Amino acid sequence: MLGQIIRHDWRSLSADRTLWAIAAIMLVAIGYGVYNGAAWTKFQRDALIQVNEEEKERFATLRRGILDAEAGRLKPGTADPRSADTIGRRSGLRYAVLPPGPLAALGIGQSDLYPYYFKVSTASKDTFLNNDEIENPVHLLSGRFDAAFVILYLYPLVILALSYNLISGEKEAGTLSLTLSQPVALGQLVLGKVLLRFALVVCLAVGLALAGASLGGVDLANGGSIGRLALWSAVVAAYGVFWFALAVAVNAYGGSSTTNAMALSGAWLAVVLVVPSVLNVAAKVTHPIPSRVELINAMRTASRDATAEGSTLLARYLEDHPDLVATSEGEIANASATSFAVQDEVERRMEPVMDQFNQQLVAQQAVLDRYRYLSPAVLAQSALYDIAGTGSARYKHFLQLTDGFYGAWKAWFTPRVIQRTPIGSTELAFIPSFRFEEESLSDIAGRGATALFGLVCSTVLVVLVALIALRRYSIAG
Amino acid sequence: MVTTIARKEMTEMVRDGRFRWTAGIVLALLAGAVLMGWQNYREVSAQHETAQRVTREHWLGQGTKNPHSAAHYGVYAFKPKLPLSLVDQGVDPWVGVSAWLEAHKQNEFKYRPAQDATALQRFGELTGATVLQVLIPLLIVLLTFSAFSGEREQGTLRQVLSVGARKSDLAAGKALGIGGALGTLLIPAIMLGVLALSLASDNGALFASVPRMALMALTYLLYFGALTAVALGVSAFVRSSRLALVTLLGFWIFNSLIAPRAVADIAKAAYPTPSAFDFSKRLDAALQEGADTRNRQLREGLLKKYNVDRVEALPVSFSGVSLQAGEEHGNEVFDRFYSGLWNTFHQQEQVHLYSSVAAPLLAVRSLSMGLAGTDFAQHAHFATAAEEYRRAIQRELNSEITANAAKVTGAYVRGRDLWERIPEFSYEAPGTQWVLARQWPALMLLTLWTALAVLFASVATRTLRTE
Repeated sequence: MLGQIIRHDWRSLSADRTLWAIAAIMLVAIGYGVYNGAAWTKFQRDALIQVNEEEKERFATLRRGILDAEAGRLKPGTADPRSADTIGRRSGLRYAVLPPGPLAALGIGQSDLYPYYFKVSTASKDTFLNNDEIENPVHLLSGRFDAAFVILYLYPLVILALSYNLISGEKEAGTLSLTLSQPVALGQLVLGKVLLRFALVVCLAVGLALAGASLGGVDLANGGSIGRLALWSAVVAAYGVFWFALAVAVNAYGGSSTTNAMALSGAWLAVVLVVPSVLNVAAKVTHPIPSRVELINAMRTASRDATAEGSTLLARYLEDHPDLVATSEGEIANASATSFAVQDEVERRMEPVMDQFNQQLVAQQAVLDRYRYLSPAVLAQSALYDIAGTGSARYKHFLQLTDGFYGAWKAWFTPRVIQRTPIGSTELAFIPSFRFEEESLSDIAGRGATALFGLVCSTVLVVLVALIALRRYSIAG
Repeated sequence: MVTTIARKEMTEMVRDGRFRWTAGIVLALLAGAVLMGWQNYREVSAQHETAQRVTREHWLGQGTKNPHSAAHYGVYAFKPKLPLSLVDQGVDPWVGVSAWLEAHKQNEFKYRPAQDATALQRFGELTGATVLQVLIPLLIVLLTFSAFSGEREQGTLRQVLSVGARKSDLAAGKALGIGGALGTLLIPAIMLGVLALSLASDNGALFASVPRMALMALTYLLYFGALTAVALGVSAFVRSSRLALVTLLGFWIFNSLIAPRAVADIAKAAYPTPSAFDFSKRLDAALQEGADTRNRQLREGLLKKYNVDRVEALPVSFSGVSLQAGEEHGNEVFDRFYSGLWNTFHQQEQVHLYSSVAAPLLAVRSLSMGLAGTDFAQHAHFATAAEEYRRAIQRELNSEITANAAKVTGAYVRGRDLWERIPEFSYEAPGTQWVLARQWPALMLLTLWTALAVLFASVATRTLRTE
């Protein structure tokens, strides 16, 4: 019976122009979205190639200089290129690089806002962490037309356009009572119609996105990418099921098609626009981020005070790092040692201020994580960005790795700078370098599963409402 | 006649539970948004004032040092906010709040507030501008779509016309009725906004914002007028209420969601911006280019001018002269690079502007940001003022080195007296005329939109069918 309903519904649906118009719109929208995502990914890749080349060239020059110096061909009056201070501060810097997310072509996400490479040096972190990409701020404000946008905003509308009159349309056309005079239950009819539409829309959305992704440079040979694509498709399907359930629930209350359309557009507005922006305000009001303006000045004050105490700090620093003194006493480069001591002290003084920032950011994220269940769009957004590798989690992961790299960098350079150990050509290869390790797929799958669970829960709630209302549905109306 | 119709329409709407609910929600959101904007404005202004004072204290209290070391120490410029930014934040969350003004370098503005927020902001910030640009148009659509088609379906249209009501009166009355219903929503909101503005600013500032406020009100009136006319026209033109609703919702989605994003990507493709890496690499190369030659020529020129044979014999300090020459070369390079980049941004914004032919929101957004003082042009205006100040500091300190450093043996150091000679940074935001000179095309396009929409509505009602 279900098969018959689906077949019949397919015949009437395919005869209607709406379906083909919708298919065309989705083709164009997703195609354009993936194209934009792929273009952005390529832009980032190209920039990173340049970054990599710059580092290589710089190291080649450095190596030549060091070889010359080792051969005693140093031009009089020029600085020794082997100086650990110069290398760790300027000439031997390496980049910490965040490659574009594995599925970045499917969602630009937050990646147009966050820096994606840092030139790490022995100087304090704030000198290299604000490496923003150039972007017209009006574009950041507008957001980008990527596949994630199409899925979050337009795909629900497509679903609603196909199902806002799922029952009411048949009722108004007078076919509902005719159909139901056959041995078929209302629930069965609704299920058949929904199944057909679901299959059409979700296959279209997922199929187009996957096709676009493979054309748009997503590396399918990579095992992680396949897993991510599967998760991505699951989130899209679950998000779609929610909207179908909502359409059925609204239909089940028996209003006219126009009333249904209005109610559903109101629900759509609430889910994709109002709830997220109210949630955003709530997070900001309950956990306001301290002012960056004040941070700048606090940093300056700390650095001024620490500099004033330079000699005391140096003494204490050397007490704390006896190994630096023990090896070659008397050889200590006082200026460099003082600057390291001051830098450490500034970092120590800024720690509580920085902690405050991080705590509030974490708290805001916690508000979002806790209340995102209020809007399936928020759930889907965080999951889609996360799976694409363009959300804040992967960026935070990158910041952590950078932090670790900075630590290793300073640990390698500090004793050499302070003891004035020159860096020879053989040692050049041992300067720490950065390696980005992708988050493990199980972490992403875990977070994705939480979002999926949330989507399923909201859907179950809506389905329950729909079932109760359907039971009371009056066919004659 | 028109007023009777208007009164009937308005009463009907205001008594409608759906309108009351929707209007109530929109009003609450608008009030919340304005309050948030007000709080944000007050906070940022207070922080800005303190920060400006502290950076000055740092500058004055930096101790005794070489003037060029002081130039490297530098000062910070903090971007102020205009009171009207409480209605429209514009690009403010997406540009940095502060720039370090140091020797040799025009630094970028750092710390974009959006980087300190969650991904939720990608759904759009809840500001007065969002409510006015996105939600109220939707309310207009919902209020208007069945204006004619609904009456036709109920059969009341024929009746109304049979008692002698003219079609044009009917259209005007309906438009007025919708305007009245919106007024019950907007007037309290505007009063709240003005109250917030007056609390946010001193009397002088409030008075100074009046022209901007008036123009902003005009912008939104034109926008709402255009949308009401389009909605009435569509309602008269199409066969059924359902079709009218679908058409208008489609237009709303295109206007407020699709167009801004699609146009951003089109503009980016048409006028690509360089990557920050490429930009700074080319900038550094241009700064370095010919440095040795320039320095040699400078030296030879000076030796010739003062008729001496070595730098040490010069009556002026060569390092001061060469520092300033370096600054001037840098200024030229920075001007070339930044005006090039900002020009690309401007060209991108032109694409947005022309696209407002299809989506009036784009023109409204540009006008609204411009009048609130939160568009990119005004960010660039501030950045330019800060850069001018940086250059003035360098000139003053370098001329001091040039004049006096040669006279001392050993290290040349100065103290507070010289730091005090650098005036405090003061910034005056551009006036309404400055904004209008940039925004008039948007205003023209919006006016044209409204005129065409009214024309469409009147043609559609004239050819209104009763069946």
